Amino acid sequence: MSQIFPKWADEAPKRILIGVIIFLNAAIFGVWYFFSPEFTDVGYAPEQPVPFSHQVHAGQLGMDCQYCHTQVTESRYANIPATQTCMNCHNQILTDSENLEPIRDSWETGEPIEWVRVHMLPDFAYFNHAAHVSVGVGCESCHGRIDRMEVVQQAEPLSMGWCLDCHREPEKHVRPVEEVTTMGYTEENQLEVGLDLVAKHNINAPTYCQSCHY
Amino acid sequence: MSKTYEYVPEPALVKGNHDFKSITALVTDINLRPTPKAWYIAFGFANILLFVLLFSIGYLIWEGTGIWGLNTPVGWGWAIINFVWWVGIGHAGTLISAILFLFRQNWRTAINRFAEAMTIFAVMCAGIFPAIHVGRIWVIYWVFPIPNQMSMWPNFNSPLLWDVFAVSTYFTVSLLFWYVGLVPDLATIRDRIKSKVGKVVYGIFSLGWRGSNRHWWNYEKSYMILAGLATPLVLSVHTIVSFDFATSVIPGWHTTIFPPYFVAGAVFSGFAMVLSLMIICRKVYKLEEIMTIDHIEKMNIILMITGTMVGFAYLMEFFIAWYSGVEYEKAIFILRATGPYAWAYWIMITCNVISPQFFWSKKLRRNVAFTFVISIVVNIGMWFERFVITVSSLSTDFLPGSWGYYSPTIWDVATYVGTFGLFFTFFLLFLRFLPMVAVAEIKGILPQADPHNYDEETGEYEPKKIQVPEPLRENV
Amino acid sequence: MSDQPKQTTYWKSLNELAQNKEYEKFVQREFPEDATELTDQVSRRSFLRVMGASIALAGFASCRKPVQKIMPYSRQPEDMVQGVPLFYATSMPFQDTVTGLVVENNDGRPTKLEGNNEHPSSGGGTNIYNQGAILNLYDPDRSHSPKRNGENVSLSDFISFSAEHFSNRDQRVLFISEATSSPTQNRLKQQALRTFTNAEWVTYEPFSENNAVEGTQLAFGQRLRTVNHYGQADVIVALDDDFVSPHRHQNSVENAYRVSANRKVTSVDDTMSRIYSIENNFTATGSYADHRLRLKTSEIEGFTYALASRLSESVNGLSAYNGIENEFSDHEWVNTLAEDLLSNRGSSVVSIGKEYKPAAQAAVAAINLALGNNGNTVTYHELPYRENRDENQAFSDAVREMQNGAVDTVVLIGTNPVFTAPADLNFAEALENTGTKVHLSDYFDETSRNCDWHVNHAHFLEMWGDGLSYTGQRSVIQPQILPLYDGLSEIEFINTIITGEESTGYDLVRETWQSYYPSDFDSQWERILHDGIEPDSGFGDVNVSLAADFDSAIQPELSYEPVSGIEITIKPDSTLFDGRFANNGWLQELPDPMTKISWDNVAMMSPKTAESLGINPERSFSSREVPVVRISGGNSTIEIAAWVLPGHADDSITLTTGYGRRNIGRIADGVGVDTYPLRTTSAMLYQPGEVSTTGQSYDIACVQDHHSLEGRDMIRSASLEGYKEHPDFATYKNVHGYEVPGMEEAREEGNEHGPISLFTETYGSYDDQPQWGMSIDLNSCFGCGVCTIACQAENNIPVIGKREVSRRRIMHWIRIDRYFEGDEDNPGAYHQPVPCMHCELAPCEQVCPVAATTHSEDGVNQMTYNRCIGTRYCQNNCPFKVRRFNFFNYSKEFVATGDDPEIIQMAMNPDVTVRFRGVIEKCTYCAQRLNRGKINAKIATGSRKPVDGAVQTACQQACPSNAITFGDITDQDSVISQDKRNERSYVLLEEMNVRPRTSYMAKIRNSNPELVSPPDLPSH
Repeated sequence: MSQIFPKWADEAPKRILIGVIIFLNAAIFGVWYFFSPEFTDVGYAPEQPVPFSHQVHAGQLGMDCQYCHTQVTESRYANIPATQTCMNCHNQILTDSENLEPIRDSWETGEPIEWVRVHMLPDFAYFNHAAHVSVGVGCESCHGRIDRMEVVQQAEPLSMGWCLDCHREPEKHVRPVEEVTTMGYTEENQLEVGLDLVAKHNINAPTYCQSCHY
Repeated sequence: MSKTYEYVPEPALVKGNHDFKSITALVTDINLRPTPKAWYIAFGFANILLFVLLFSIGYLIWEGTGIWGLNTPVGWGWAIINFVWWVGIGHAGTLISAILFLFRQNWRTAINRFAEAMTIFAVMCAGIFPAIHVGRIWVIYWVFPIPNQMSMWPNFNSPLLWDVFAVSTYFTVSLLFWYVGLVPDLATIRDRIKSKVGKVVYGIFSLGWRGSNRHWWNYEKSYMILAGLATPLVLSVHTIVSFDFATSVIPGWHTTIFPPYFVAGAVFSGFAMVLSLMIICRKVYKLEEIMTIDHIEKMNIILMITGTMVGFAYLMEFFIAWYSGVEYEKAIFILRATGPYAWAYWIMITCNVISPQFFWSKKLRRNVAFTFVISIVVNIGMWFERFVITVSSLSTDFLPGSWGYYSPTIWDVATYVGTFGLFFTFFLLFLRFLPMVAVAEIKGILPQADPHNYDEETGEYEPKKIQVPEPLRENV
Repeated sequence: MSDQPKQTTYWKSLNELAQNKEYEKFVQREFPEDATELTDQVSRRSFLRVMGASIALAGFASCRKPVQKIMPYSRQPEDMVQGVPLFYATSMPFQDTVTGLVVENNDGRPTKLEGNNEHPSSGGGTNIYNQGAILNLYDPDRSHSPKRNGENVSLSDFISFSAEHFSNRDQRVLFISEATSSPTQNRLKQQALRTFTNAEWVTYEPFSENNAVEGTQLAFGQRLRTVNHYGQADVIVALDDDFVSPHRHQNSVENAYRVSANRKVTSVDDTMSRIYSIENNFTATGSYADHRLRLKTSEIEGFTYALASRLSESVNGLSAYNGIENEFSDHEWVNTLAEDLLSNRGSSVVSIGKEYKPAAQAAVAAINLALGNNGNTVTYHELPYRENRDENQAFSDAVREMQNGAVDTVVLIGTNPVFTAPADLNFAEALENTGTKVHLSDYFDETSRNCDWHVNHAHFLEMWGDGLSYTGQRSVIQPQILPLYDGLSEIEFINTIITGEESTGYDLVRETWQSYYPSDFDSQWERILHDGIEPDSGFGDVNVSLAADFDSAIQPELSYEPVSGIEITIKPDSTLFDGRFANNGWLQELPDPMTKISWDNVAMMSPKTAESLGINPERSFSSREVPVVRISGGNSTIEIAAWVLPGHADDSITLTTGYGRRNIGRIADGVGVDTYPLRTTSAMLYQPGEVSTTGQSYDIACVQDHHSLEGRDMIRSASLEGYKEHPDFATYKNVHGYEVPGMEEAREEGNEHGPISLFTETYGSYDDQPQWGMSIDLNSCFGCGVCTIACQAENNIPVIGKREVSRRRIMHWIRIDRYFEGDEDNPGAYHQPVPCMHCELAPCEQVCPVAATTHSEDGVNQMTYNRCIGTRYCQNNCPFKVRRFNFFNYSKEFVATGDDPEIIQMAMNPDVTVRFRGVIEKCTYCAQRLNRGKINAKIATGSRKPVDGAVQTACQQACPSNAITFGDITDQDSVISQDKRNERSYVLLEEMNVRPRTSYMAKIRNSNPELVSPPDLPSH
């Protein structure tokens, strides 16, 4: 009786099997790697109502982070400054730049400026700025070289795994408290210094669930 | 004193004087002849039930687990009961094909094919429940150890996790085992079917089987290996399912007897289900000569034994509860027999312990109608066993202040009934398109397959008259 | 930070629409149901469907994050640090008392109320009404604007109206106000009475102190407030005086912390007071008492006279009662009580429920006087704001005057007489015969609907005001937030009526208080605002002596006739009081302390009475249905579900008020049965009644289905003597007669911590972290349920509605198990709060497939909602069944659906995740507080361990009797460590070796050998 299938069909089952195995693994790896915040979130740089440049203020003018983010040492939140803070200077400087129009409006009307949030943690993750800043976790460590950003963008994945990297080995990241707001801080024998600081500040970065999720 | 023994020959496994050709025709014609109207009706009915299942699952995911009757003391209800019940049923197939195969029980060949089919579909039904009973099904993939940005792994201490592995492994191996067994028969149909499409489709699945010596050699080996693999799984899967309960701290769950007791129960219900289906099929498809009354009797004996084992387990539970001296254990077992769920408990005892005892009588063992009834009764009983274990322990556990009664809602029922839709949809497709008896294997046990039944010179087939050995005639 | 775009509701929306339509129709109809009709509240869940669009429900992170906006202030307010709560003192007015509170404000909105330690009425504790008040503030059903004949109008309309209408100073104006102690309101009252030449001012409370005050008038010829200092008494005889319950006693919180302090037993050398309770239905006090006698309400009076007469044989001053003979004259209790009282002269208290008639009150007053308790344990005070007359009488007269159409204008301030006034006064009709009717109230309620003008009332957290505590300390009420609906406070309202102009409460209150501080008012004022109270103020004691003609005057009053057949007693409801809290979801859902019923009121009766009515005294475990009875008294009849309450007096039926509200709000409407129709001026407390079964049945949502301990050892108790003989009676060994299995083996291995275990101990090391633990003293708990509400408020626990509760899905993180033990006609009741035990070897942690519940380094059993997939395996494997599952999207229905969600969302605690559907939740020991405490300690001192007392759980802080202690068990000096070392300390299911961090302290009853007392437990 006649052949139903061509010769090559003999190889087909084997090939298909191998193909499927490879594909599944590729898929899993792909999702794990490319759908992680490192790829989805890092670099998120939305346009802001006011083209505020950290590069100018923090970089060139060398203003300290805490000049504006005043409550970072006492609160969970590193507050976005009130319009007031902007006006401290901008009622003298660039009083007529139309970039600053929204600022002046807000100051007159009392209406808030609607800044777009860049660093978004899910609501079930409780991050406390004060707790970190007060033991020497630099702004830079999570927010990157803000002083070089024309437009603020997310520099780190802010994923749980990424948090744990530091919480498991704080000594690799902590710095002297007075250096917290320094940009581009480096320490050649970080490990040594780090260990001292961990001991000094009695740091034990918690890794149990309820330190962040409750 | 002296006694006269008489030699009783082993009854032939296949009745009627069939040869290879007639067997092939008898079985495969079912697949080749045009679809009977009755099949469509049955299939339509199954589909309606299947729709019920899909709808109730859809509604469940839409609304939330709250549509079921679950409450705070009783966190597991019908879903888990059905899961355990279906998995239990899913035991017979692989047991018959693998274990009986290893023990060279030739009578298995008549029933192993669709017992395995039943197993696979039953496990599919079972698999649905652990998945849908969770509160947030959209993140259920967290139970698989997949690398992720949370750097979180599942908790390997949890029996539920073991379940995931146990059941999926069991399913995969059973499926392969079944498929490997199917290959030669698929080839047979491929060769006999007329339609071009049929040829291609069966052709694809028969993997270019040509029945060459080499093929047979590979086939036998792989079949043997898979049988070896499947055998421990038969025992392991329900053992692990029983761990869901046995490893917990709840009185009535926290028992070391569970693994053997669950396996026995599983075999019990599995065989019952095979019987129910087989009795229908052999009638409808006129296969009485292959699935003979002797098969039914053998299976009834297994039912009787496993049923008694289960009964023994029930007794042991009570004994241990008393012997352990743990007041909560004692309380729960007394409550099972006398408390709010006594009705369920006594249904269970009647169906599982009492009913199989009828099979001590050879007459009833060989009574098809009676067997059918009992097989159904047993399956009901086994469902209630799971109900009693799951619900009664939870509803009245340690702190009397937290006790609460559980009763199902319409959605619990719909989901359960729906799974029969799934089961029968697949089973009917199987009956329609696949040979429900392992043709090749049956041929292997025909007298024609025995080389001694051929004349050395002529090669003519002449089955030997039974030579009754002389000495036995004497008085011993 | 707001979330946008608003991702509005999912599947709910369609339903909602339907729901809303339904609801619309429902409210269109003037009176949807007949007053006594029982409506099965299928889907009470719908009650909150009518709320809201969406908030970011943590737990369901949708795959694409919505764009979020941050809106900083334009001008930064001072001392406002975002994310750091602020605390201000204020007081909660309740009838004519106030309770001092401290309010937690998050981002400018009050989110939680705590007791004010400085304030005697609170002592740091609170009651369920205080805790519930926060939800009332954010109740979207509160009236949003003034109304003229039901039509919304602006506030200015009302002001111009009153300017015009009240310019006629000679019209007959009748003011009807709630009882209040506010000096400012009292000042304005006097002003009003001066301004309106022809005005009358009466106060009306459905459950007032009036009879108690009339009692002192009878006894001493002066109208005085009786203050019983239960905390200083060694023997307390409470004649149906439920003094620890807020619905029966205005000063319950102070009573609770003082009396429990006097009953704390830390060692065998301690003593405790002895409480006798005589009552018809089981009250919290009755369950707390050392001895309890059940009498019909109508017999209490007779019992009192019998007691007085017995005492009169031994002490002077009771001659009036000499020789009284009634069925109680030789009652063993009378003799025993008399002995005990006589041997504790000057240090005992006899008290009687404030609802009882003046003659009985007088008898009690006379007894206390005769026993020399006055000045020690009982003091009398003049109420500066109270008219010297029978207020109930005055009210009745006023209403009759209205009936006769003699009143031109009636001004109702806060009260709701159409609903609560005695039926025979027929207040609604009286209103019709009255010219102009003006009503100030929180809700557009039964009374408002019958008035020309309704003015929406400001919540006390929105207003300036003042008041006097029960013992007279001047307290200030300061607003925490601007009125959400621009409501008026009482004082602003009254002032507007007088002056016809708008005015701010602030000025009015200051004006009053200026008189107290002639010199440097402002600094004093600052201090008051800070403390919330003027400590050196208070009522002066009044020395009293029996009225000269007492003996003769009292004689006619002594005629006493108990109800022969079945009597019907009407009392305020334990959670809704007179109905003013009916639209509060937390309080509606809070189970009654004794019946454990939520969302309904029932007719409570004893098993015997039930049997005589043909009702099965045994409750079915498998069904929620209970029979409905028809109850008629006077000339009205109601139909209500019957409830068998062990320990209730026979031939007596207790009903509670406050249910069966109509068109108030989504929660109150149609829940339960209105019992006021049975209440008449002649029968304010009890009356004979007819009871019959109707053959119908009704679903009741009861959160506890089994009432017996089954001889188990969850609760351990002993008599004081027993305790002194065997101080360690509560240990496992003494309860069971053998050591905890595995303990000896463990000792051999040198492990004292607990029996040998398969598992490695999963909690952190003791040195570098605090190890949290909790201890609950059963000797202080009387089951009021304030811990439950406080927890609900602190942890954003949703209200789920009757249908879900009746399916046994209540979400409370700390439940209170109530057990009845002993003689089923007269059992002892035991309360046991059950939060998560935080087992060190937690069974739940072993079984979760995704590690969503694990152990923290500080020894807390953690539940990570956002990891949970909802297998409920942990819930099954929890021996204490404290884990709760979100079967539906409860939180969303509670806070995120309907018309104005922002309002109710403001009540949520920003520090706690709002749980999504399909996840398990449970007590976390208030993780947010633990973490805040640890972080603050770290920043402040660098230490990882907060000092003892720095961290309090919500339940602990709220408990008025300080039954709950919490803290770091690694700190050997901490209170918790001491409690855990105490010999009364025990843990549940010790033989399971789960090692709970929450332990209990065994109950002790100071029983009198002369009388039978509730059994010691466990009783095998």
